[in-house]
Amino acid sequence: MKKIIQIAKHEYLSNLKRKSFLFAAFGVPFIVIALMVIIFALQAATETTLEELGSVGYVDYSGVLAEAIEKPDVFMPFDGEVLAQEALEAEEIGAYFVVSEDYLTTGKVTIYSPGAASEELSEAIDAYLLANLRVSLSLPSNIPTERFANPVNLTYFIMDTGREASGNSIFFAAFMLPVVFLMVFMMGVQISGSFLMAGVVEEKTNRIMELLITSVTPFQLLVGKLIGLGSLGLTQLLIWIGAGLVVLSIGAGVGLEIFTNITIQPDMLVIMITYFILSYFLLASVMAGIGAVSASEQESRQYAGILSLIMVIPYFFIMEFMTNPQGAVPVILTLVPITAPIAAIMRMSFGTLPLEQLLLSYALLAVTTVLITWLSARVFRWAVLLYGSRPRAGDIFRAMFGRLEIGVTSTGNGQREQKEVVQ
Amino acid sequence: MSSVAISVDKVIKRFGDFLAVDELSFDVYGGEIFALLGPNGAGKSTTIRMILDILRPNSGQIAVLGGPITEKKKDRIGYLPEERGLYRNIRVIDMMVYLGTLKGMRASEARRRALALLEELDLPDHANSKVQELSKGMQQKVQFAVTVLHNPELIIIDEPFSGLDPLNRLVIRDLLLKMRNQGVAIVMSTHQMNQVEELADRMLMIDKGQQKLYGEVDDIRAQYAEHAIIVDGEGDWSALPGVASVKSNGRAGIKLYLKPDVQVDDVLAAIAQNDAYRITRFERAIPSLDEIFVRVVSGNAYVENVQQTYEEAMR
Repeated sequence: MKKIIQIAKHEYLSNLKRKSFLFAAFGVPFIVIALMVIIFALQAATETTLEELGSVGYVDYSGVLAEAIEKPDVFMPFDGEVLAQEALEAEEIGAYFVVSEDYLTTGKVTIYSPGAASEELSEAIDAYLLANLRVSLSLPSNIPTERFANPVNLTYFIMDTGREASGNSIFFAAFMLPVVFLMVFMMGVQISGSFLMAGVVEEKTNRIMELLITSVTPFQLLVGKLIGLGSLGLTQLLIWIGAGLVVLSIGAGVGLEIFTNITIQPDMLVIMITYFILSYFLLASVMAGIGAVSASEQESRQYAGILSLIMVIPYFFIMEFMTNPQGAVPVILTLVPITAPIAAIMRMSFGTLPLEQLLLSYALLAVTTVLITWLSARVFRWAVLLYGSRPRAGDIFRAMFGRLEIGVTSTGNGQREQKEVVQ
Repeated sequence: MSSVAISVDKVIKRFGDFLAVDELSFDVYGGEIFALLGPNGAGKSTTIRMILDILRPNSGQIAVLGGPITEKKKDRIGYLPEERGLYRNIRVIDMMVYLGTLKGMRASEARRRALALLEELDLPDHANSKVQELSKGMQQKVQFAVTVLHNPELIIIDEPFSGLDPLNRLVIRDLLLKMRNQGVAIVMSTHQMNQVEELADRMLMIDKGQQKLYGEVDDIRAQYAEHAIIVDGEGDWSALPGVASVKSNGRAGIKLYLKPDVQVDDVLAAIAQNDAYRITRFERAIPSLDEIFVRVVSGNAYVENVQQTYEEAMR
């Protein structure tokens, strides 16, 4: 145990100082923050403020604004979109919005504007409609109560480009969060996993492995490496989460609607970190096994690439996750250990993940991780002293389940290979 | 002899159909330098790996430091493999401390001992250098220092002097001798015979996994001695009483094969009594281990050749 801790400490500290780690841990969040600042600055510069728009027309098909109260001075009612469009073209108004017929149930409002509409405009529309909804409430009606929480479901229609953008920031947040998580998660697992793999390949090629193996058991070596580099990945994850929270609080402080709508619940963080730890061990132990078996770092990277591709499969089904989070595909992907982390976080973002599914997913992932770590340890033990030749699939299988000795391939052309190994 | 450090008893190791080690038995004691000799592929490394528990024998027993090897015992063994390597992108002292702690040392203790060893090996200024900044010879010395860092009771070194210049060879040699005198058992696997002659107390020569020679180095050499003497000097050597034939070996001296019943002393007396002879060198023709090695490994062919020369001389 003492030796495992020593190995873990060594792996953690020596890799912490690597330039590639420092860049990934601090450089990437820094660049992301810088990019965001630039993007928002540019966007703010192109936005037209309410004052610049002059008057804003509106067409009400729903009747909510029939006897409008609290109407801002700049808002002008029109009888139909054609008239509003004409006024817009004549530059009598700067923009107009249409309150749809089914507004009371859907909250659907479309803004037509020649440029990107400002936050100010949508806030003004929000307030105006909310005030009038309250009036409607005193009348007998069947207005869904969530309309008050979120009075407007905006669609922007930018005239110049014809581009439609949904204004509901919650949708944006829900869409973005899994993407961000996916990125952070993949990079965290990938970087520490690939450090582990590169370390094994290095120790094999410079033959220090032989020295290590006569000081500690291959199992101690593997577990020490897994713990050391896992802690490194976790350190990176925490730095990124910290940076993310800073971005969010700054964004919310500045009043950007996108950020105020993103709330990261503590339970989500806990679940994220738990998934990270479990699937890191799964992935990294497989990578250690690959590292031990591969002849070169390039070769091992190719195999590792396939692994990460499998991990992101849930993302290919993002539409399925959004429209039907309790459907068969999302449920299956939540339970399959290697796709579970991404699938679970996506489901939590788009809806709810039932506790029993979460626990089952944890259990399956944990059992698989233990099993795979054990198998990898056996392959690792066998392959660490195997130099030069690439072992065949049959040998790897035998090393997992059979009794293949360290550094020795099976019979057949074993003699040629063992000469390289033994001498 | 002091305690038994390694005891190998009728050990057999197969790789598939290939018999790598064939019923090998030998002992290594504390306070001796033991040479493991043999041509490439003879089974030296396999034997060492079995002693170190990297490989398991198919049959036979191996006892290390008084019993079967355990993880705990590995802390008392220093091993320098033939294929050597070091971490490259790390400071020398950090690497030494890390490898020392893996042998069960405390970090502070490992650091103190590492610095002392670097001092002894003329590398005190390089403790904080990165390994990759060292010259090849320096790296070799660092590797050696790592091997003996934890004061092992048993040291196993594959080709201890490969890649070292004569000066560094002397430094390492002195260190090995010092440790031997402190009671450490040292096994060196090599095919450089002059090192064995110089350093080893006892030896085991194997070929194709089988024991060929085993015992004290001096005994083995005497055993292979020819009935001949080597001289340098002046005179008609073939006319000397008791000499059967003469063979000039240039700088290696003149070899006089003696008749079977003649003693070496008789020849020396004959030379001393005769003014026609002057000698600057006189010694028994004890073959170098190199010669014995070639003779044993190439089997009977060489021996027959020697025998033939001898018989021709007798006629």
